[in-house]
Amino acid sequence: MAALEAERNCETGKLESLDVPFPSSGEAAIALRSLSPDREPRKGGISKELAVSGSTLSRWSADEARILRVSVNSFLDHLSLVLETM
Amino acid sequence: MTVVIGFEGSANKIGIGIIRDGEVLSNPRRTYITPPGHGFMPSDTARHHRAVILTVLKEALEQAGLKPADIDCVAYTKGPGMGAPLVTVALVARTVAQLWGKPLLGVNHCIGHVEMGRLITQANNPTVLYVSGGNTQVIAYSERRYRIFGETIDIAVGNCLDRFARVIKISNDPSPGYNIEQMAKKGSQYVELPYTVKGMDVSFSGILSYIEEVAHKMLSSGQCAAEDLCFSLQETLFSMLVEITERAMAHCGSQEVLIVGGVGCNLRLQEMMGVMCKERGAKLFATDERFCIDNGAMIAQAGWEMFRSGQVTELEDSWITQRYRTDEVEVTWRD
Repeated sequence: MAALEAERNCETGKLESLDVPFPSSGEAAIALRSLSPDREPRKGGISKELAVSGSTLSRWSADEARILRVSVNSFLDHLSLVLETM
Repeated sequence: MTVVIGFEGSANKIGIGIIRDGEVLSNPRRTYITPPGHGFMPSDTARHHRAVILTVLKEALEQAGLKPADIDCVAYTKGPGMGAPLVTVALVARTVAQLWGKPLLGVNHCIGHVEMGRLITQANNPTVLYVSGGNTQVIAYSERRYRIFGETIDIAVGNCLDRFARVIKISNDPSPGYNIEQMAKKGSQYVELPYTVKGMDVSFSGILSYIEEVAHKMLSSGQCAAEDLCFSLQETLFSMLVEITERAMAHCGSQEVLIVGGVGCNLRLQEMMGVMCKERGAKLFATDERFCIDNGAMIAQAGWEMFRSGQVTELEDSWITQRYRTDEVEVTWRD
């Protein structure tokens, strides 16, 4: 799997998008459907969007950098488990 | 012929089991054991499950002698339980369901215990005492729901036992409750503790606070041994459970009791419940540690029942939940 690409908004410190390339769109779709059902544990201050267009694209918006860090960290852990299962 | 694979990991046990029409084909399990004096935290537990889950999955298939194509349905624990471990297990269940092209089924953990108990013991329509580290409920089936007749108003009985085990720093291997049971057998002095039955319900947090304080005082002054406290705690807690079970039985006119959940392994609890049942002319059913303690096959069994009665969980609805009441599920497989 090629390297992840992240685009960060340097002004606001928000993670705009995280591109995860997949070998095929089928596998990207499986990953999306496995990762999207669970809600973020934290109620406020974080929102995450997952979408697929050939590769998995995620978009985050958080009020504080530390909340963003926790959420992205969890997501990457979960993503790696899904990939290992596949 | 219907084959269901079940994934369970709501607490510190990760288990995957396969059931084919009431036969347990495989049921491997791993337990995350923490050092004495420590409980298990959600993120560490999730990390443990994540490290072993794919190995356990492989074992489940190999021991059953099956390939993914032989599976008809993938069942997993939707809740209740600890968030992070539940997510870890659900992710794998969702992924394999998609990879293998099989329907998914989110199962209520408590109902998993009940259905496994019913399968193994063949009890007809028992009053169920579900007691574990995370749950304490008296359940009876009525009109398409597993109704909660009595429950803890604060912590589970197993939680009370586990946290007391931390205070006296006994080993968590194989489980704190097992070690308390062994020590209790050597107790000779009964220490009076609060007895807190509240109608059909029970409360344990007060007993825990009390015994934590008493332990520090009496153990340091040598007034009693840790074994005596283990003995006294068990006698008190289990008497309370027997009382609320009997109350529910009287309410329902039931002549059968089924004990499920990790605390159900405790032979002293089974003995005390047996005495009450004998007095009422009722029958007691219990399972051994393979099925009492959280395991994958129980999720597979509940999934089997649900699947055969036409239920399925769409991926978008397969989110896990830490709170999931037993009576929230429509029991479509019984009438």
